Amino acid sequence: MTEHPLYIAVLDGDARGARAAVEEALNAGADPQDLLSSYMIPAMDEVGKRFDDGEYFVPELLIAARAMKSGLELLRPLLAETGAKPVGTVIVGTVRGDLHDIGKNLVASMLEGGGFKVIDLGVDVAPEKFTAAINEHHPDILAMSALLTTTMPGMKTTIDVLKQDGLRDSVKIMIGGAPVTRRYATEIGADAFSESASGAVREAKSLLKL
Amino acid sequence: MNARERFNAVMHYQPRDRSPIMDFGFWDETLVVWQEQGLPKGIDADRYFGMDPQWITAPVNVHLQPGFEWRVLEDRGDTQIVVDNEGVTKEQGKFLGSIPRHISHTLVDRSTWQNEFKWRLDGSAGPRLPQNWADYVARHSDTNRTYPLGVNAGSLYGWIRNWMGLEAVSMLVFDDRALFDEMVETVADCIVETLSRALASNIQFDYALMWEDMCYRAGPLLSPRVFGETLVPHYRRITGLLKQHGVDVVVIDCDGDITRLLPLWLEGGVNTMFPLEAGVWNADPVAYREKWGKDLLMIGGVGKRMLASSHDAITAEVERLAPLVEAGGYIPTPDHRVPPDVPLANYIHYLNEARRVWGRGLPNLELMQTEVQACTQDDVDKFSWHLG
Repeated sequence: MTEHPLYIAVLDGDARGARAAVEEALNAGADPQDLLSSYMIPAMDEVGKRFDDGEYFVPELLIAARAMKSGLELLRPLLAETGAKPVGTVIVGTVRGDLHDIGKNLVASMLEGGGFKVIDLGVDVAPEKFTAAINEHHPDILAMSALLTTTMPGMKTTIDVLKQDGLRDSVKIMIGGAPVTRRYATEIGADAFSESASGAVREAKSLLKL
Repeated sequence: MNARERFNAVMHYQPRDRSPIMDFGFWDETLVVWQEQGLPKGIDADRYFGMDPQWITAPVNVHLQPGFEWRVLEDRGDTQIVVDNEGVTKEQGKFLGSIPRHISHTLVDRSTWQNEFKWRLDGSAGPRLPQNWADYVARHSDTNRTYPLGVNAGSLYGWIRNWMGLEAVSMLVFDDRALFDEMVETVADCIVETLSRALASNIQFDYALMWEDMCYRAGPLLSPRVFGETLVPHYRRITGLLKQHGVDVVVIDCDGDITRLLPLWLEGGVNTMFPLEAGVWNADPVAYREKWGKDLLMIGGVGKRMLASSHDAITAEVERLAPLVEAGGYIPTPDHRVPPDVPLANYIHYLNEARRVWGRGLPNLELMQTEVQACTQDDVDKFSWHLG
């Protein structure tokens, strides 16, 4: 697996190489789902591991996610034809009052790289917008981000609104951002917390027992 | 001992009467919330809180010259879409409670770099020093100056990251490393050329201030390898020039967990870490000093989260930091602007404890404020700016 050109291209963040490797493999009759699950997702897992180990940094994450996307663009129509489903659906957004999106975007990219379907609600997302999206998309996970201590309470507010609307038990909730801690996640009743984009993928998979 | 003598003494491990009492400032909302808690309106916070003269820097422009024209594109009620002086289109709160969201950037590729940015970084052109520079020099070259005066020494990565956005500059490092290197070198050239003119004056600056904000909770936004290869040589050029002119305190303003970059900054001659954000990664100036020794100077390190907790916790932290303050090479300040969830009473308690423990007998802040409010401006200066 680790010597396959597609695996190497994603790991090295080589977008052109990833696309070429997918094309070549498909022309040779490879199964699209197998390319995704045997090479691309494992490569992104390794990217996350290297990030956690301090070997990769944000730029390496970003170019790996870009390489993943370039390969996925070719695979998506074929996967849809076969009825293949993503490993899960995640709604992501930065909570109300917070315009910060860098961390949220990074998490979204890494989740996509991990095989998740991501619905990005953007920044400054009101609790009502989160609940409307949950009603519309029926995600497995809601992932909320906040940069500031002053906007962080928006996570609790959103969870409270989900409870009021009877939606809390329909979705797992994951939170993250500069001031967020595991303790805070526990305090407000979130199911998981991650301190990094790569950790978010790991937590998401753990929540869904993947 | 005046504030300048005190600042230089502490940063050079020399005897002094007490530690400078300094801060990082406040979020706009904080002062509004504090007014509801008893803070008088219309005060100068630095003076009201009895800070030593702080963060005074000469008007030397090492940035884009001219900057892009600032204009509002759209009003969205609580936020507005603007183009800023760095050519960034962004959404920002009218009440600056959140970091703006970048929407698009003028600097996107080699062409926009050549046509829109590079010429704005010519250190030999444009009004880099103010028209009244001679007057400014005359006023500030007095060797009896009572306050520390700094000079802005720019930014080698943070500005470029602002101009392009994090994702684009991160991609650039891999897609066109030569262009990234050229950008850093051009910015460094501009800084060196401009500083050369400013430093040639008769002003003896006490410190230089750089800004990067290139770390977050998980560490640096750029790999230490690229940082070492591309940035460190230019830090050396800048700090070498500063040192030639007697400026041996070079402050870097960088939030986030700086641990991985700290030794590389020291290698580049940038020796003063600020604001030592405690953060959820629990950075600690005491631990930094133990690990990096006296070559490392520090300003900051008082956790803003801790300030929001309890008076007992604040007193304990002030006492814990006291031996490091006593040892020198360190000025404690809050690790960022004080947020609005810190009660005014907590902040006053922090300052009173700081004045008692680090300030060696400075008067209690409430007492001083009572006197200040009844005094003339000259008395304010006497009480809060020139104690000792």
